[in-house]
Amino acid sequence: MSSRAAKVAVREAATTVLTVDQLHIDRLRSNRQAQTIVSSFSLSVAAGETVAIVGESGSGKSMTARAITGLLPPALVAKGEVSYGGRNLLSLKEREWRRIRGREIGLVLQDPFTMLNPVMRCGRILEESTLERGLSRKARRTAAIARLSEVGIHDPSVVERYPFELSGGMRQRVAIAAALARDPTVLIADEPSTALDVTTQREILSLIKSIQIARNMALILITHDLRVAFGMCDRIYVLYAGSLVETAPSAALESEPLHPYSHGLLLSEPPADYRMRELLTIPGAVPSPDEVADSCSFAPRCRWAAAACVQAKPPLEQVVPERLSACVRLHDIRGEMAAVRDRATGEVHAAVAISDEPSLIRVENIHKVFRRGNRRVVALEDVSIVIRPNESVGLVGESGSGKTTLARMLVGLEAATSGEIIIDGVSASNWADLTQKQKRRLRDSVQIVFQDPYSSLNPTLSIGATLNEAITTRDPRARNVSARAAELLDAVGLPAAYARRKPAALSGGERQRIAIARALAANPRILICDEPVSALDMSVQAQVLNLLSTLKRTHGLGLLFITHDLAIVRQMTDRLYVIYRGRIVESGTTAAVLDSPTDPYTIKLMASIPRADVGWLESTRTIGTGLPQVSAHSARSTSR
Amino acid sequence: MIYYALRRLAVLAILLVGVSFAAFSLLALAPGDPVGILLGDAPRTPATVRALRHEYHLDKPFLTQYWLWARQAVQLNFGRSVQTSLPVRDSITARLPTSLFLGGYAFILTLVFGVGLGTVAALRRQTATDRVIVGGAIIGLSTPAFVSGVFLVYVFAIVLHWFPVFGKGSGFLDELQHLTLPACSLALIASAYVLKHTRAALFAVVDQDYVTFARARGLPYRRILFVYILRNALIPVVTISGLMLAFLITGAVLVEVTFNLPGIGQLLVQSATTKDLPMIQGVTIVVAAVIMLSNLLADIAYEAVDPRIHLGRRSK
Amino acid sequence: MTEFAHAAEPPTTRTRRRGRLGVIVIFAFGVVGAVTVMAICGSLIAPDDPHAQNLAVSLAKPSHAHWLGTDSLGRDIFSRIIAGARTAFLGPLVIAAGSMVAGNALGLFAGYRGGRVDSFIMRWVDLMWAVPSLVVIIVVAGAVGGGYWLAVLLLLVLTIPFDTRVVRGAVLEQTPRPYVEAAKTIGVADARIMWKHIWPNVAPVAIANSFLVFAGALVTLSGLSFLGLGAPPGTPDWGLMLAEGQTLLFANPVATLAPGAMIVITAVSMNLIGDWTYEQLAGRGAER
Repeated sequence: MSSRAAKVAVREAATTVLTVDQLHIDRLRSNRQAQTIVSSFSLSVAAGETVAIVGESGSGKSMTARAITGLLPPALVAKGEVSYGGRNLLSLKEREWRRIRGREIGLVLQDPFTMLNPVMRCGRILEESTLERGLSRKARRTAAIARLSEVGIHDPSVVERYPFELSGGMRQRVAIAAALARDPTVLIADEPSTALDVTTQREILSLIKSIQIARNMALILITHDLRVAFGMCDRIYVLYAGSLVETAPSAALESEPLHPYSHGLLLSEPPADYRMRELLTIPGAVPSPDEVADSCSFAPRCRWAAAACVQAKPPLEQVVPERLSACVRLHDIRGEMAAVRDRATGEVHAAVAISDEPSLIRVENIHKVFRRGNRRVVALEDVSIVIRPNESVGLVGESGSGKTTLARMLVGLEAATSGEIIIDGVSASNWADLTQKQKRRLRDSVQIVFQDPYSSLNPTLSIGATLNEAITTRDPRARNVSARAAELLDAVGLPAAYARRKPAALSGGERQRIAIARALAANPRILICDEPVSALDMSVQAQVLNLLSTLKRTHGLGLLFITHDLAIVRQMTDRLYVIYRGRIVESGTTAAVLDSPTDPYTIKLMASIPRADVGWLESTRTIGTGLPQVSAHSARSTSR
Repeated sequence: MIYYALRRLAVLAILLVGVSFAAFSLLALAPGDPVGILLGDAPRTPATVRALRHEYHLDKPFLTQYWLWARQAVQLNFGRSVQTSLPVRDSITARLPTSLFLGGYAFILTLVFGVGLGTVAALRRQTATDRVIVGGAIIGLSTPAFVSGVFLVYVFAIVLHWFPVFGKGSGFLDELQHLTLPACSLALIASAYVLKHTRAALFAVVDQDYVTFARARGLPYRRILFVYILRNALIPVVTISGLMLAFLITGAVLVEVTFNLPGIGQLLVQSATTKDLPMIQGVTIVVAAVIMLSNLLADIAYEAVDPRIHLGRRSK
Repeated sequence: MTEFAHAAEPPTTRTRRRGRLGVIVIFAFGVVGAVTVMAICGSLIAPDDPHAQNLAVSLAKPSHAHWLGTDSLGRDIFSRIIAGARTAFLGPLVIAAGSMVAGNALGLFAGYRGGRVDSFIMRWVDLMWAVPSLVVIIVVAGAVGGGYWLAVLLLLVLTIPFDTRVVRGAVLEQTPRPYVEAAKTIGVADARIMWKHIWPNVAPVAIANSFLVFAGALVTLSGLSFLGLGAPPGTPDWGLMLAEGQTLLFANPVATLAPGAMIVITAVSMNLIGDWTYEQLAGRGAER
């Protein structure tokens, strides 16, 4: 361990340890043409500093991480400079890379479920990662246990277990321990918590932060969530369609973004603390880098775009000390941006008018038990909810809570084991017992939109065919079917010409709109939305959410919002149920539940939402100049 | 794991009973009168007919006949061959070793060439080597054992004189030489299959996150290749290899006829073409038992190789 | 000022593997085409009558009069090869087509409906794994008496479970997908879901598999003829010719090698076409 102490001593002189300069990543296609993934990316990070690379899918952020560690997939090529220890890492040969990887730069990947070798025990994974050789079996085991406790695992039996025997959170901790086994100077964490439950996410991020402080490492965090970046990082690099659009210290970025994209991103991420007056959307979808190669990458979607924006690619320039922005019109629009922000973030207290109409959906004491082989899994236990017409109700829970099972029961995809479901007066606990007429009535009352837009449309059918089928199934004698289909498309904000396209030609946001249109074909009174936006990019989520709000108003739809995201619930719902492990643990108006939660699980859920304030991770942050502040309390993670 | 093996053995026994019943019913299904079939070329006199009826219990009801026959069959007594009048069991035991030797030899060749070349092709992805190997595999897959047998005989025995043309040989080394061409032609299709699946399994594994993470930790290439890539690719390869055992039995029949080897396969074909029913029945049961046992071994090997299977079963 | 906003563009499509495979696939189609022609009107193309024996010129090496020489009974090998295309083509075609129809129907049912139908079919398939089809056909054909069409029938019955399993696997992958569930929640009838929703997504696998089945059936049937349990002696059948020519390897090797080569080339071509068909069909209409 003495070498580690020596390393720490050297790093105390907070100098820059890693610099990326003008990194270009291209994909070489079989026809010799190069497709740009990332262009002109630059970054620097010092010991003890945390920087974030924030971007949506298609921004190229993961590839940047791979390029820095020399792990790009075969078809991708990186140009530029990555300076570490006085050398350009991009010029290294594979053999030289092996001395850098793990020992100088560590990398933690996104998905803990696929990151660990499934046929190796965790102890072996740790042992092979360390550099210490020739230790006895007992000494190796002790060393492995020590490393596990650094990441908050205090159960020594984990050493003998296989990865599949552990939960997602535990696997991620093991992976982190393995990545740190050679005591690297720099750690890159690529969306380390995205694949985990909301409540686990905070624990993992907190763990990473505390380890970073204890070891005085440089940390590069890759994330799509601005608020996570605010809560954890000193500086933020915003990546859009392969180019950097803004870099700034996180506090400064949070109070005033200096690029329309960061501005839009910030405003389209709803906060969980209060209800915004309106969710600002960014129209359109993320382009590929080559399409915007000669202009500002954000111009096609920017409300302030002008001729100057498309003449050439705007350079990343310093606009204010310590802040760079790639917007040529910044000085002109800065004031407007601020005005938009003030308007949108004005709080709205939702009119808490509890409707007194009779309920449309009544779920009473539902139990659902699944039998898998000889195992019994209780999915729902004594669940009761009520949904009235024209109401927007939220059902909040994490994966495995049973929320999706309940949704499926309401549309007849599952039958209840016991209990009663009454929809529009019809007893719907087991659809197999109903007549065709009754089923028709239920389908006209309740429809559903599924989570994954990429597989909820039949890839072999055109959009028009899908919608026509929905229309004619409900009313086989319908006339003017295609006109009705065009109406539906219009209702979701898409042009009628889309009827001829196939799903593969559409983006995720558009596909989700089609799914909504299909559900509307039956003219339902209640629309169940099962995680309708969690598979979509941030900048597109707001579009779909706003659409749902609009439809609620214009069609008099009731909504049942099923999600794990409390921020969405705050924006979209009037009433709320919290479900945990198959039981409803709390319910009430949205404002009441979220402002003053009483159930410990709800409290934990609220606390897990990324917040841009210092206390969120229970650790310190650096401010402004990039110099670390020594933490007053223990840096060891106390969470299990 | 023991329980699983025992359960599978029980299922195997039941399946075998089913097969035996089907084999036994052939006597009833075959056109012509059972006595005539069982007599074969022997003269049909009242004396021989009576003796036959007595020996084969032809007067009793069908299920009783089956029961009596099955009792004997369990002791491997299948009666006497119509052709040779010798006990069926003797012919089978005389020929079984040759077939097993051939099968084992071919299995080893299959694994060596299939897994070996498949790995080479996967590691040299998109190069000329890969394309040549894959092309060879496609041809190998489409070349039935009797065709490749004849081709190999022509090239290596007749033209080049490296190997003897027919026969089995005596003594271990001599047998090895005699059985090389048959084993190669038998292994051709099977190794092409294993090659394709090994290559596909390796492709799938190489792109996995755990390989990337291993590289990210700076682990040496050799370790990654063996402990990460090959060890995980092994799982589907073991499954396929298990299937190959049944495949090899099929091919063995053709190869033994092509090369005139005195094995079980040749016996089966001979007895089929001469309608030697007792022999057919005996050989069928033995062949079915061998296949089922090898499938069982393959399944057990698969369990052993993938900890998720047997641990998953236990923990749930 | 959003005049620069545009409709979303499609996500990047995968590059299709063309070019290299093109030449080889064309060759494969050519071979299959030639075999089809030979099967249909072989007697019109063949230079000699495949059955005509002429002991005077038996075992002749290839010559101008007989391009591939003659066999032990003086029959022209070349004509026999052309005539043999019929048995090489018809039987496998019947098996591939029949197995596809029955296999797809059963596979759709088993995969979509599940339950008892599914368990029954899977038990049947498991049984098939226990005893290889060739052995079963040998035994049954031997007991009942050989014959080409009997072998075809037996092989058809034994191939259906494999087709069923392949289709069932593909159907099982599709059934839990949201688009199928969405169709259910809208109220689309089961039959329509199976036919219009699931099958088109399963078709690439099913159709490509049929080509592989054809190749396999060709190999098995000629194997049976080789053993004397398929086509009756005297028929111009590639497998049978291979068996007959085995003893002649020293005298006229072409008599044996030529039919063998035809079997291999046809089977390889079918396999290649099967692979190519899958790539073409699966490339279109794929999600993500």
